[in-house]
Amino acid sequence: MANRMDEPAIRIQRLAKFRGPLQVLKDVTLDVPRGQVVALLGPSGAGKSTLLRCINHLETIDGGKIFVEGELIGYRERGDALHELPDLASSRQRQRIGMVFQSFNLFRHLSALDNVMAGPVHVLGLPRGEAQARAQALLAQVGLAEKAKAYPNQLSGGQQQRVAIARALAMQPRVMLLDEPTSALDPELSQEVIATIRQLADQGLTLMIATHEMAIAADFADRVLFMVQGEVVEDAPARRFFSAPQHERAKAFVARHAGAAAASATTD
Amino acid sequence: MIGAVLSEDKAAAVAPPPQRIVHRRHWGAWLFGALVLALLAALLKAAVTARIVDLGVVGQYLFSPQMLIGARNSLALGTVALFIAVLVGLVVALMRVSGNPILVAVSAAYVYLFRGTPMLIQLIFWFNAFPTMFKELHVELFGVVLAHVPMTQLITPYAAALLGLSLAEGAYMAEIIRGGILAVDAGQRDAARSLGMSTGRLMRHIVIPQASRIIVPATGNQYIMLLKSTSLASAIGYLELLRISTDIYASNFRVVELLTVAAFWYLVMTAFATAIQTVLEKKFPHR
Repeated sequence: MANRMDEPAIRIQRLAKFRGPLQVLKDVTLDVPRGQVVALLGPSGAGKSTLLRCINHLETIDGGKIFVEGELIGYRERGDALHELPDLASSRQRQRIGMVFQSFNLFRHLSALDNVMAGPVHVLGLPRGEAQARAQALLAQVGLAEKAKAYPNQLSGGQQQRVAIARALAMQPRVMLLDEPTSALDPELSQEVIATIRQLADQGLTLMIATHEMAIAADFADRVLFMVQGEVVEDAPARRFFSAPQHERAKAFVARHAGAAAASATTD
Repeated sequence: MIGAVLSEDKAAAVAPPPQRIVHRRHWGAWLFGALVLALLAALLKAAVTARIVDLGVVGQYLFSPQMLIGARNSLALGTVALFIAVLVGLVVALMRVSGNPILVAVSAAYVYLFRGTPMLIQLIFWFNAFPTMFKELHVELFGVVLAHVPMTQLITPYAAALLGLSLAEGAYMAEIIRGGILAVDAGQRDAARSLGMSTGRLMRHIVIPQASRIIVPATGNQYIMLLKSTSLASAIGYLELLRISTDIYASNFRVVELLTVAAFWYLVMTAFATAIQTVLEKKFPHR
């Protein structure tokens, strides 16, 4: 806690979100300090993805506020109301909030290199030469330097996800939101993606990761947020979450996964 | 014991007795093919014996200056109409997917109206009815008259044909482009937005290029259809292939010969459009 910076990387205050009559996020309040790695756990439909998608305003919100490095996201305060920002202003805010998706969402008509260059060239207006050098370096960082010319349909799932991470990094994000980055991958391919994410954590990037992957949550997350039905029911340091979960659902979750981890450890 | 069985199996697998493989022969299809061929031969024989086409006359008109002008006019009309139709279609398609109820309703009404009425009626409308509805075109900016032309002078057969074909075709293109845009999965937009692309940029750099692999082949078909639809402009007196052919055979009664010449040039244009389509499809490969 030395040298505490003035603004947290992410600050969420009393966030509420509805889908029709159903409240999918209930009064979510939390601060994520810079450099922290947060694992979002919880059953499917708990609102993990929705929470991440609100942080870069891919989804509108119905109450509360979200700040990234002190900047109110998606809205402008006028009087006692929040007015949604115009498209251009929202787009500008998203430039420095990286996002990685469960289904990778690589641009299918572009090579790996062009995918990584897309942001710098089309958003930042960087000259192609400069953007290409940066993209090539990022592909090398995720271990795919030799796949620069490959199209997404020529890459494995794990490779696609690593290109997607490089694409997000190319915008030099302040925070990275990872929405179930390994859920679409088989265990072997998950490993290479997890290794890449661990690299980001080691570099001190602020990460928020919705995941079912124990290798992420237990091994290198600093903190676990456990969500049930739109609520954060447990917010604890990762070590304590796994050793002494408090909430009923969290206990069951940990017990189940500890069992699975033990089982996989014995078969290995 | 098991080892012995395995090695026996293996030996059998390694050395199968040599046997010829006979694939299915599809005798039925070949029989039908022969039948079709015989029918075509009979048709051709009938045509030749009936002397419906005088090839000499066909040759005489095939490259005649009048027919070449007609072919050029048809090609120009169809091509310019397609370009306008693509622009109109793009705007209407974007209106349709905008989500704004007014824009959605207006674009849907446009498509219904222009796709739902015969092109021929639309051409006649633009040529005959439109100039009587609006007698003159008057453009004035800050008190300065920029244009003042009677509409009958402005709406030539070419202008009416161009207006009619491109607006009717624009309705088809709007649906084709809309279908292409909807086929690009939502994750692509999410990814583009998360990089900070505005709606305009993500449309231009991500959605439209991917939609193109659906739009391009369909547009090629529309181009071919449009080139042939230019023949409708003969009804309002535009000198395209069909009009020139009918004008000639009205005086010399060589109906079949002249229609053959016209058909030949339509086929040439179609081949031209197909070639362009092939090149463009290679530029937007399916990935």
